[in-house]
Amino acid sequence: MFKAMLNAVTNIFKPPHTLNYPAEPIPHPDKYRGLIEYGEEHCIFCDKCEKVCPPGAILFYHNMDGTKKYHYNPYLCIYCGECVRACPKPHEALWQSETKPLPAGSVEDVNGQWFDLEREVEKSKEAYAAFKKAEKERKLAEKKAGEEPKEDGE
Amino acid sequence: MKKTVNIPLGSQHISLLEPIRFQFECENETIVGVDADVGFVHRGVEKACTEKFEFKQVGYVVARVCGLCAITHSLAYTLGVEQLLAFESNDRIKQLRMLMVELDRIHSHMLCLAHVAENAGFEALFMQTMADRELVMDIQEAISGNRVQFDYIAIGGVNRDLTPESAALTKTNLEKLKPKIEELKELFSSNWSLSLKYKGIGALSYEEAYTYNALGPLARAAGLATDVRAETSYFPYEQVGFELITERDGDIYARNMVRLREIENSIAMCDAIVDNLPEGEIMEKAKGKPDGEAVVRVEAPRGELFYLVRGNKSNMLDRVRIKTPTFSGIPAMVEVFKGSEYADAPAILASFDPCMSCTAK
Repeated sequence: MFKAMLNAVTNIFKPPHTLNYPAEPIPHPDKYRGLIEYGEEHCIFCDKCEKVCPPGAILFYHNMDGTKKYHYNPYLCIYCGECVRACPKPHEALWQSETKPLPAGSVEDVNGQWFDLEREVEKSKEAYAAFKKAEKERKLAEKKAGEEPKEDGE
Repeated sequence: MKKTVNIPLGSQHISLLEPIRFQFECENETIVGVDADVGFVHRGVEKACTEKFEFKQVGYVVARVCGLCAITHSLAYTLGVEQLLAFESNDRIKQLRMLMVELDRIHSHMLCLAHVAENAGFEALFMQTMADRELVMDIQEAISGNRVQFDYIAIGGVNRDLTPESAALTKTNLEKLKPKIEELKELFSSNWSLSLKYKGIGALSYEEAYTYNALGPLARAAGLATDVRAETSYFPYEQVGFELITERDGDIYARNMVRLREIENSIAMCDAIVDNLPEGEIMEKAKGKPDGEAVVRVEAPRGELFYLVRGNKSNMLDRVRIKTPTFSGIPAMVEVFKGSEYADAPAILASFDPCMSCTAK
């Protein structure tokens, strides 16, 4: 009983356990898991990061000229770092920073547009694959057309 | 005429953190029959593991089954897949995995003790225990980079190495924690509202524990020596000084004591691991596609966690079955409730440390 009273009195003069958060920043240890950052000039567009990402937070939009555009959703990302481990050029093309993601303003900012983008990317991939296939067939046909006169000549 | 009254506890109740419903059949104040319902937070994790995610991603999915024992879930799954890939990890990986699992056990047991104290009307101790728990959370954050969802264990190894700074932090924080656990032990064994009130309440006998397949601290408090750490050989637990801790009475007091002594044992084990960490790579290549069936048992903070993984030589798995300790322990829990007073029910329930998020998954 006496010990409890003593504890209660000394507790009044102890500093609080909590942090004075907005005024002081929260200390975090080294190698804090922050946003995934991307260096386009080093990327070889192998799409490995897109394939391994568990929540699907990295997407590559396929343009018709064969180039790809990188998209990243920090709100879907779980910061596991699988993409960085899968990357053939880690720390140059893809790396994990210590920056915190900013809070989102509204639901639409977070996933609304992202799901539209997912569908668009899917379509762009299909369109590009179809374009490639058509191109291959056209080339094959051209080759055949080029070979045919020879056959006639024989 | 019917002599009993049915009183529900849950699915929303002031003493519960998570939704679980018990229908108590009471005769006056005494509980004579219990009906339990646990499926309120079903999320379809098992289905998602086989339909939506590839086997390399599933480790991160199953970690989301539970916030408290996230590391145990990903560990059990990873061990299963590694078994199918015929991969054997090196000693350093084993020790690092063991370290994180033991740290997880410490903070999970502390959370349970805090809730037990809260249910005895001891709010201040709840706050104090939760504040002390931060010491362990800080270690885990320093080692893995995350506070709750660690994403630390991956197929083939662990994602981060133990740096000298985090090793030093582990040592100092565990050193700080030791006297606090001593103090808690003193409080839980001599404070009136925690010890005398809880002695003889919610007792489970050795025979009942054996018959109804109790597991984890619930079984060990009743004297049943069951611990997956002692029964399996995935990890070198004997090397780091593992002790199987049992009590005899099987009541809430005995469960508290088992948890406190396990925390002490886990602290000693963590110290031993950090001191004698062998050299080696932290990530090794695990090649191939899972083929066949693997069964893995791991000791989670609440008892035995069971995983079945079945692969078919492709990226998608055939089946992932998760059997969590709370789910397996329900028959024993129902037995404990029978014969006790209705007013004790919330306190008894808190002493089981039920995890509904795991159970319904």
